[in-house]
Amino acid sequence: MSVPEMTGAASSFAAPTARPPETFFKAQERNRRATWRMSALCVFAAFLMGIPLTLVLSPFLYAVTMATAEVVNHFSPLPPEFWQISSDLARLAVRVADAVFNQRGVVSTQELIIAAVLIFLPGIALALMLWTGMLLLFRHGGVGGTLASLNAREPNPQDLKELQLADAVQEMAIAAGLPAPKVMLIDSPGANAAAIGTCAADAHIVLCRRLLDDLNREQLQALVGHLIASVGNGDLRIAFTVTSVFETCGLIVTLINAPFGRQSRSTLWRIVRYSLRRGTGAAEAADAEQVAELLADTLDMNSSDIDRFFNSSNPGVIRKALRLMFFPFLFTNIAVELTLWFFLNLLLGPCMALLWRTRRYLADAGAVELTRNPDALESALQSLSDDSTTVAGGSWASHLFVVNPGGDRSLRGDSASAEQQRKFLQAWQTAASAGGAAAPLNPPPSLPGTAAEFARVRQEMMSTAMAAATGNAEATARLQTFAQAMGVDPGLVHELPNFNDLMLAQRGDRAALARVRMQRQSRQRQQSGTQRGQTGLQTVSFVSFHPPLAKRAKRLQRMGAHLIDPSRRHGGLGGKIVLAILYLIFGPLLLTCGVLMLFVIAMMIGLNLLCLGLWLALIHWLFAVDWASVIAGFTKFVQDVAAAFSQRR
Amino acid sequence: MDFSPVLIAIAVFVVLVLWFVLHAYNRLVRMRNNVSNAWSDVDVQLTFRHDLVPNLVESVKGYMSHERQTLEAVAQARSAAMNAGADLATRAAAETALGSAVGNLFLTAERYPDLKASQNFLLLQEQLTTTENRIAFARQHYNETVRQFNALIAEFPWNLIAAQFGYTPEKLFAAGPQDRATVQMAS
Repeated sequence: MSVPEMTGAASSFAAPTARPPETFFKAQERNRRATWRMSALCVFAAFLMGIPLTLVLSPFLYAVTMATAEVVNHFSPLPPEFWQISSDLARLAVRVADAVFNQRGVVSTQELIIAAVLIFLPGIALALMLWTGMLLLFRHGGVGGTLASLNAREPNPQDLKELQLADAVQEMAIAAGLPAPKVMLIDSPGANAAAIGTCAADAHIVLCRRLLDDLNREQLQALVGHLIASVGNGDLRIAFTVTSVFETCGLIVTLINAPFGRQSRSTLWRIVRYSLRRGTGAAEAADAEQVAELLADTLDMNSSDIDRFFNSSNPGVIRKALRLMFFPFLFTNIAVELTLWFFLNLLLGPCMALLWRTRRYLADAGAVELTRNPDALESALQSLSDDSTTVAGGSWASHLFVVNPGGDRSLRGDSASAEQQRKFLQAWQTAASAGGAAAPLNPPPSLPGTAAEFARVRQEMMSTAMAAATGNAEATARLQTFAQAMGVDPGLVHELPNFNDLMLAQRGDRAALARVRMQRQSRQRQQSGTQRGQTGLQTVSFVSFHPPLAKRAKRLQRMGAHLIDPSRRHGGLGGKIVLAILYLIFGPLLLTCGVLMLFVIAMMIGLNLLCLGLWLALIHWLFAVDWASVIAGFTKFVQDVAAAFSQRR
Repeated sequence: MDFSPVLIAIAVFVVLVLWFVLHAYNRLVRMRNNVSNAWSDVDVQLTFRHDLVPNLVESVKGYMSHERQTLEAVAQARSAAMNAGADLATRAAAETALGSAVGNLFLTAERYPDLKASQNFLLLQEQLTTTENRIAFARQHYNETVRQFNALIAEFPWNLIAAQFGYTPEKLFAAGPQDRATVQMAS
C-alpha cells in the first residue's frame, strides 16, 4: 500500500495492453439487442399464457354476471332486452363452438369474430386492469419496506471501510453521469449486493457489511459499478414490471380464492386498505412490502385456501351447503392455478429470467466501461459466489441481487480438486504440528486427499475457527499457520474462515461471532447435501434469474479479464457426454409430461365450462320455479295425507 | 380545390424534412448539454482538489518538515493548475502534474512511521484516493460524452445540421504527448 490505490480509469492512460476480443461497447450493444429479443419473447409468452387463462376467466366472469343478474331480476325485473341479448349471445356461442369443434353447421366470419371477442375480451380486460392497478399501486409504495425488511442501515462515516464504500458509490455515479444513489448496509452473514428502487431517482444500493471486509477497494468499486450501470440502464423499471406481472398473477389467484379462505380475504383486504390510504412514510412502505410478499406467497401451489375449504374433515351443515353452491368454482380455481403454475414455470418465468439475465450481462459490460477493469469485477463476482449464505428478509427481491442469494456453484465447482484437497490436508498437518498442539490425534492420512478425510478436516477447521472466535489463542495461532501454509489459492480461499470476523469476534462483536457460526452451519449443510430451496421469484421460474457465474466470467474474459482458468470448473468431456445422454433420455419424457399437462389444462377448462353451465342452469331453475305454488302444493299434499290418515283412523 | 398527387408528395416530403431537422436539432442540443454537464462535473472535482491540497499539506507538514522541496512542489503545482487558463490541453497537463505531485507527497510520507501510524493518515489517504478517482472518472465521463458528440456531428445527415447551427467538435480533456513528457520530468 505505497501509493493511493488508483483504479482503472486513472491507469488507462498507461500504454495500451493487448486488445480484448470484444470491447465493452460492443458487448453492451449486443446485450441491448438481446434484451429486445427477450422482451418480444416475453410478450409472446404472455400472449400464449393469456389464451388458456382467458378461456377460464371469461366464462367465469359471464357466469358470475348471469348469477347476479338472476338475483337482481328476482327483486327488480331487468328489461327483457337484456335477457334477449344474453340468450342470443349464448346461442351464438354454442353454434360457433359446434362449428369449430364438431364441424357442424355454418357460421359467418362476422359471427366468428364476435364469438372470439366475447371469449377473449373479458379475460384480457380483467388481466390488464389488474396489472395496471398493480403498477399504480406499487409505484408510490417506494422501497422503504424492502429496506426495512432487510434491516438495512446507513453507513457510518467514521468507519474507514464504510467511508470507502460511500466514496466508491460517489465515484461510480460520477463515472456514469448519474445522481448518486443512496447507500445502505445490511449486517448479515451473507455476501451480496443489490440495487433496489422503483425508478432511477429513488435508487438504493444495498450491500452486505461483510463484503467490505472481503473485497478490496477495486473489487468493491467494480461491484458498485455493476449496480450503478444497472441503475443507469433502467433495470429498476424492468425489475418493477417483471415483479408486477408476477404479482398480478398472484392477485388473480387471490381473487379466485377469496370466497373460500380467510387468508385470501385478508390479503385482499390488505390490498384494498393499502390502496385507499394515501399516507406517506414508513407505514405505507411497510404495507407495500407486505402485500408484495403475500402475493408472491399466493403463487406457491402449496398454500391454497381452496384445498382447506374442500378438504376440511367434518364440515358443518352450512359448510356443506356452501360447498355444493361453490362446487363449480373448484374447477375454475384448479384450472387457473394449474394454468398459471404451468405457464409461469415453463414459459413466462423462464422468458423473464432470460430477459433479466441479459440485463445482468449488460450491467457487467457497463461496469467494465465505468471502471475499465474487468479483472476486478471478475474476482469480486468469484468471491461473492464462494459464499452460499443467504441474506435474511426481502426474499421476493432476490432477483435484484448481483449473484443468486441462494449461492451459485457454477464457478467454484462442486468441491476442491484432489490436488487441492491434498494441499489442504498437508497444510492442516503442518499447522497442527507447528502450533505446538498435542501430538496429532490421527496419523497422517494413508490415502492422501480422500474426500472423507477432507470433509473431516474441514469440519475440524471450522470448529477450530469457532474456538478461535470465542477467544482461544492457541486455535487462532493454529489457523494463522494454516492460512500461511496454504498460501493464496483462489480455489481454496473460500474454505478459510474470515479472519476479519474472527478478530472482531474475539473483541466481543456479537454480529461477527454470528457470522462465523453461520459460515460453519452452512458448511455443515453443504456436507449433508441438503440444498436450500430457492427464494422469491425463483420459485415461479425453473430457470434461475441469475446467469451462471461461469458464463459471466467467460464474457468478462472476452472483454479482457484474465483470471480464472475455466478448465477445472466443468466436468470435462466425460461429464458432457453423461449430460447429453441424460438430456436424450429425459428430454422426450419431459416433453410428454408437458403435453399431458396441456391436456389436463384443456380438460380442466372443459370441466369448468360444464360445471359453470350446470350451475347457471340450477340457479336459473331456482329462480324460475314459482316457489309459492310449489310450497302451496306441498302443504296441500301434507294436509291431504294428514286428512287421509285421520279418516282411516 | 383539388390536390394533385405530386403536390401531396412534396408536402409530405417537406413535413418529413422539417420533422427531421427539429429532431436533429433537439438531439444536438441535448448532446451538447450533456457535454457541458460532464465538463462542469470535471470542474467541480478539480476545484475540490485545489481546496483539498492546502489542508493536506497542513496536516502532514508537522511530521515531515525536512521535505520542504516536496511540499513546495505540491504548492507550486497547485497554483499552476489554478492559473492554467481555459485551454483544455494545458489545463490537463497542469492538473496531471498536480496529481503526480500529490502522489509523490504520499510516497514520501510512507517513509515516516509515526505519520503512517496515525489514524488520521488512513482517512487522509482515502480522501486523496477518492479525489483522484473522482477526477479520473469525471474526466472519463467527459471524454466519453465528447467522443459521442464528435462522432455524431461528423456523421452524414447530422453534419449538415450541425454546420448550420454552428456546432463544432469539442476538445477532449487529456494531456497531449508533449505535455505528458514534461509532466514525467517534473515528477
